[in-house]
Amino acid sequence: MTDLSQTAGPVGAAKAASLVVADARMLRRRATEKRFRLMGLMAVGVGMLALVVLLTSILGNGLPSFRQTAITMPVTLDEAVLDKSGTRDPAVMAKVTTLGYGKLIQAALEAELIARNVDTQGLTVKDIAGMISQEAPADLRALVLADPTLVGTTISFDALANGRVDGYFKGRVTMESAVDDGNISPEQLRVAQAMRDIGMINLVFNPGFFTKSDASELRPEAAGLGVAMLGSAYMMLIVLVLALPIGVAASVYLEEIAPKNRWTDIIEINIANLAAVPSIVYGILALALFINIIGLPQSAPIVGGLVLTLMTLPTIIIATRAALKAVPPSIRDAALGVGASKNQTIFHHVLPLAMPGILTGTILGLARALGESAPLLLIGMVAFVKDFPAAPPAGMFDPASALPVQVYSWTQRADPAFAERSSGAIIVLLVFLLSMNALAIILRRRFERRW
Amino acid sequence: MNDMRLTERTVTEGVKISAQGVQVHYGTNHALKDVDVAILDKTVTAFIGPSGCGKSTFLRCLNRMNDTVASAKVTGMIMLDGQDIYDARVDPVQLRAKVGMVFQKPNPFPKSIYDNVAYGPKIHGLASGKAELDQVVETSLKKAALWNEVKDRLEAPGTGLSGGQQQRLCIARAIATSPEVLLMDEPCSALDPIATAQVEELIDELRSQFSVVIVTHSMQQAARVSQRTAFFHLGHLVEYGETGTIFTNPKDPRTESYITGRIG
Repeated sequence: MTDLSQTAGPVGAAKAASLVVADARMLRRRATEKRFRLMGLMAVGVGMLALVVLLTSILGNGLPSFRQTAITMPVTLDEAVLDKSGTRDPAVMAKVTTLGYGKLIQAALEAELIARNVDTQGLTVKDIAGMISQEAPADLRALVLADPTLVGTTISFDALANGRVDGYFKGRVTMESAVDDGNISPEQLRVAQAMRDIGMINLVFNPGFFTKSDASELRPEAAGLGVAMLGSAYMMLIVLVLALPIGVAASVYLEEIAPKNRWTDIIEINIANLAAVPSIVYGILALALFINIIGLPQSAPIVGGLVLTLMTLPTIIIATRAALKAVPPSIRDAALGVGASKNQTIFHHVLPLAMPGILTGTILGLARALGESAPLLLIGMVAFVKDFPAAPPAGMFDPASALPVQVYSWTQRADPAFAERSSGAIIVLLVFLLSMNALAIILRRRFERRW
Repeated sequence: MNDMRLTERTVTEGVKISAQGVQVHYGTNHALKDVDVAILDKTVTAFIGPSGCGKSTFLRCLNRMNDTVASAKVTGMIMLDGQDIYDARVDPVQLRAKVGMVFQKPNPFPKSIYDNVAYGPKIHGLASGKAELDQVVETSLKKAALWNEVKDRLEAPGTGLSGGQQQRLCIARAIATSPEVLLMDEPCSALDPIATAQVEELIDELRSQFSVVIVTHSMQQAARVSQRTAFFHLGHLVEYGETGTIFTNPKDPRTESYITGRIG
């Protein structure tokens, strides 16, 4: 028994001393493995950290733009000012400009301040009026013209506060900064704080951020994303309507029908290269072709949509071809074997099976187009657009803005209030992009077939 | 008039497909060399031979599935009922309705069992209404010995069946267009022995209605199901005749070597 184990010992020792004790070589291998795992963890950590910093900064800066400071007061809509004729006809009442409404609001605010016993010592009438946004009279006018029966009654009106007052409650403006600020004084802020304390000033949800159009430098509190979102929606519509059918038709032809020869190889290489062309190059192309040669209007969603279509096409074609390639050849054999024609094979079997992949590629292409700004800058979509474009199709030719371009133009303005709005626009853009990507994932999961 | 028809029939008596001097090139590769064969009606013909010998290639010539391979070039003449199937006027789509095919790997469409079988009749306009289509589906599934297993779940996906059931579904799909010839390319290679036995039994039953051509790697299978056997080797048709004769008394030494396991 002992003899046996002794003779067996040296044979095992030639390879490794023991299974439980690691030799030097083994230790080195383990160390390498550990190092590599650590580096991977660090890489992921750096990425996560960058994401967290980005999101905190954007959310911190942008979320306040979804809420806006409003001054609540009862406004008596005096018939003698707003509708002298007494007809309640909006066409006639439209003759009263915002100046008339402005006086009403100003008077209403003064009266309310006295009624609520707010100490306004040190403030002139002009200072008090200056706390209200220049946009407020326009809002009130729109309200009255939409419902003329309000004339003669007293309504509770939420007037937008001036951007600086708004900034004070969001922490952008302080008493110290107000000392040197030509647009606001510490006295005004003190009164605003008193109004806040008695509930006259509130931070309320701001639907105007989504429905209003861009506003001038002087009234950042009124600036909204309405025109930009509508412009982006128009462009996405054009991209979807043009790029999906063209892209799918091109891919089906190249993948299923075209003979494999030098010409199709050249086309394939070109498509792959086009997908990598910098987007600003497409902008120059659009400027030269669509605006200078064809003569389409500048700043119009039609031009933006066309250039984004050109930009998205290669992405969609590549995704569609990959999806078509992924359909097993046995399905084509099966269809041809029962006597289906080439067309029937493609439309009854191959395309439906490739559909999830095609849709995923299309949505990701659309998402990329939605976030694209460089080509739009070149075709003039960075302009200040106050009026909403008309309903499509005519509206496609009206000037409009786009979400990423709106972000760009707001970051360029001096008032810090626009920086906040810019971050808010980024949040809106990110929400759209994330929901599109989520939709792509859901489609892929939902319609993925196994065979 | 009657006489003419009589003579016509005698010419093609029993012969469903006749091939003469068939050559197939894949690019520079000469895959099939000068094959002459006459496949009889209502008979099971087995093609045997080692891998790469050209038996599947020849099978795919019979319904022009080789057309889908860009590099394939087929010369020679293949007649189905006296008509050249490689004639320029022949539409392969129409040909494939007459010459059905079952593939090596079961490949049902990722659709319901019903739609799998109904697809062929639908595209060829073989059924004029829903009731007639139901009838065709039922008959085909019955012929494929699958009806009893799936009659309660015709709307279930065809891909959810077991391997053997899938292959019988593919056979049902192939016979739903009422073909005259059924080509089977190693139909049992992906199946277990029990499923194989079921499919083989089925092939024997199908013989009463169609001419069946089956490519197989298994000599035992060829011996079990076929009446006639063709042995292919390196692109040549070496020997063709009664299955019994090929297996017991081959004329060519290569056939004998293959059957006894010396080459292959």
